[in-house]
Amino acid sequence: MLNKIGLKNKWSMISLLIIILILLPSIFIFLGLFNETSDNWIHIKTYLLKDYVINSFILTLFTGIFSIIIGVSLAWIVNAYDFKFKNFFKWALILPLAIPPYIGSYTYVGLLNYTGIIQTFFRNNLSIILDPSLLNIMNLPGAVFIYTIFLYPYVYLITNAFFKKQSASIIEVSKTLGKGPFEIFTKVMLPLSRGAYVGGATIVVLEVLNDYGVVKYFGISTFSTSIFQTWFALGDINSAIRLSAYLMAFVFLVLLVERVSRGDKKYSYSSTNVKPLKPYRLKGLKSWAMFLFPATIFTIGFLIPVAQLIYWSIISYGNIGELNIISTLFNSVGVSLVGSALIIIAAIIIANTVRINNDFLTKNYARIAIMGYSIPGAVIAVGVMIFFLKLDSLVNMITSYDSGLILSTTIFMLIFAYFIRFLAIGFNSVESGFQKIGSNYFEASRTLGKSITETFLKVDLPMLKPSLLSGFLLVSIEILKELPLTLILRPFNFNTLATRAFEYANDEMIHESAILSLILIIVSVSLVYALTSFKKKGKG
Amino acid sequence: MNKLIKFNIIFVFLLILSFTTVVGAAGEVNLYTNRHYDTDELLLEEFEEDTGITVNVLKGGSDELIEKISREGKDTSADLLITADAGRLHRAKTMGLLQPVESEVLFNNVPENLRDEENYWFGLTVRGRVIVYAKDRINEDDLTSYEDLTDQKWDDKILVRSSSNIYNQSLLASFIELYGRDWAVNWAEGIVENMARKPQGNDRAQATAVAAGQGDIAIMNTYYLGKMLNSSNQEEVKVAKQLEIFFPEKTHINVSGIGLTKYAKNKENAVKLMEYLTSNKAQKMFAKANYEYPVNNEVEPSDLLKSWGEFETQDINLSSLGENNKEAYMIFNQVGWK
Repeated sequence: MLNKIGLKNKWSMISLLIIILILLPSIFIFLGLFNETSDNWIHIKTYLLKDYVINSFILTLFTGIFSIIIGVSLAWIVNAYDFKFKNFFKWALILPLAIPPYIGSYTYVGLLNYTGIIQTFFRNNLSIILDPSLLNIMNLPGAVFIYTIFLYPYVYLITNAFFKKQSASIIEVSKTLGKGPFEIFTKVMLPLSRGAYVGGATIVVLEVLNDYGVVKYFGISTFSTSIFQTWFALGDINSAIRLSAYLMAFVFLVLLVERVSRGDKKYSYSSTNVKPLKPYRLKGLKSWAMFLFPATIFTIGFLIPVAQLIYWSIISYGNIGELNIISTLFNSVGVSLVGSALIIIAAIIIANTVRINNDFLTKNYARIAIMGYSIPGAVIAVGVMIFFLKLDSLVNMITSYDSGLILSTTIFMLIFAYFIRFLAIGFNSVESGFQKIGSNYFEASRTLGKSITETFLKVDLPMLKPSLLSGFLLVSIEILKELPLTLILRPFNFNTLATRAFEYANDEMIHESAILSLILIIVSVSLVYALTSFKKKGKG
Repeated sequence: MNKLIKFNIIFVFLLILSFTTVVGAAGEVNLYTNRHYDTDELLLEEFEEDTGITVNVLKGGSDELIEKISREGKDTSADLLITADAGRLHRAKTMGLLQPVESEVLFNNVPENLRDEENYWFGLTVRGRVIVYAKDRINEDDLTSYEDLTDQKWDDKILVRSSSNIYNQSLLASFIELYGRDWAVNWAEGIVENMARKPQGNDRAQATAVAAGQGDIAIMNTYYLGKMLNSSNQEEVKVAKQLEIFFPEKTHINVSGIGLTKYAKNKENAVKLMEYLTSNKAQKMFAKANYEYPVNNEVEPSDLLKSWGEFETQDINLSSLGENNKEAYMIFNQVGWK
């Protein structure tokens, strides 16, 4: 009986517990779906829904396409060619990820607008007045630009890892068959890596759908802004939830596209004998030409915004009050490490269970685990809040001592929300790790009489390490940048770099927010750096 | 590997513990605030020094904070709520989250029109939502009222941010109160007609666009111009200097305000903090640092604000901003004010 519902072992049981924990807050929210539609909903449908759908669709479609184009081609270039500063770019191309898109948008608008350095330079030094609407990025194409340039690294990272692990022997075969690098790329690698880049693009698309900062600043109405608006301006949480449900339907469509495009084809082959790909050596002019593309992307996605932030930090240094940088930094790093560690541990448990068990229930774990990523931050926040408040009243009931709010005034609530929100990212990394190592070793070890846990620790874990680390890195950066959950669920006197930077920016004091943004970026960059250097040494 | 996992788990719990601050029962007050200014922090620190009362602060969006207080119910940890919009305070009141405060000090410090009729909330600072125009292109005599902005002569000239912004919502809500719904619909339609571009960016961006010649008139809050005049970016200062403030007939004003939560646990300390924030000393700091008008009549606005001159304000109770908020929001959507 127990076997039937997937409770074969400890792993399955813990997985089930985690899954239930994830589902509870959403249940509180979705109970609201059964309420009647209000007049507000009719108003929304008449005047607003069309805009939300069109805008969200355009933003996700184009950001997805451009991220794939940039991410995949960069990943291919750094794997297939030798050119100037290649080793630097290998990791530098991840760095735009360290900049939260909303900070990026403030930075680019500040750079390009009338008082920004470009227009100012032309006006004051060359007496040329540029048409301000030419440099205006506060529109749909501008938003696509911002999202693409700061989110493409998701595609790059995953595709890069795929090329590194999978390509050497395939490419050698292709070479023997007389194919050049371009043909190998278009005819062999592009179809092969579809699963990888579609996976990356899915993360990008979900990020875009959930983003609030950029579209709010640009004045574009999307699902995520509308959920806040409906909830707050109309005071109508039921319609807000209905909108969330629409958004989630949208998200499931995206995920379905991902599944379908991955198909049943599994391109993994269980050879640990992964030889590094031997890159084509480019010389002279060609080498520099190849250098240009990654250099441009890196400049736009990282150097320019950082330079702008440094400049703002310098000119605004005297204006800001006491920053309490140390405690803010400690908070940021602390929650992000704790959150990521918990997420990776849970991701391992669930992914391993999913791999081992093949029953109906377990198969759906994977989908539930990544569900949180598709729920708008604000909705998760409320779900978690209600859940914790219920928990508190339960505690009070059991102890029959009215101690007020206990759990819901602590950092637990926030970390739990992070857990739900970002488990998807950790899970995807871990799952792809498991897929890469295949199941042959696992089965061999089991045949030799080792338990699942022993097998995991001795066989799987060492091979999984790179995936775990990259998952850990991605999640920590996400938590560092996270805003809506942190804003709503944090305890008293708890500030993070992201919340403080946002507070300044939101009060239209973008110069003053620069220092905090910079520190946030430095922390993220060091995480990226630590990871890549560890990878090199450890060799996974 | 086992060790590593154990170590990780211990590490995680230690970190979690280190965040869990123990909150004592006496000598504190818990504040949920929507204002993020450095001035506010300094003020609270001074209050702590003067009284020995610890102030715990949770910052966030006003709507999120209200939602939080409402969800926490009678167990709420918030004693006080500060928002940067009277409409939001009114919403908190109607949701039953606040309680009236009878304090002679507050009655003295805060004029009647800047506090709730039943004393559920009190204004702390005042800002106007005004017309800002390009000095070189617009003659001040051509400007009269908000209504005039819908005249055809301003076609393609007006810059204003998106209707999702609470300041715009409150502006329209005040018109609904003063002149009725039809008037408000006509006004919003007229503005959409005359917009120089699709609404985008914040208030500062509207001012900059006027200087850049994308339009001639911006609708924005007073203090943003003060901030631009004192910006660390010299170009922004230049922009602000090309602009002038015009107070239309019956200028729309709004307040940042404070209310005592219904289930406040530290009521006495909370009222002390309310009184402190409206006192001459604190009001002077508000006035100076954030270019807002003090609510306390005994305190003079800063020199910059005085240089802008005096103006006549809308004669409405600010609670109506909250009462008409939803209506305003719906009108914006109907007339296509993005």
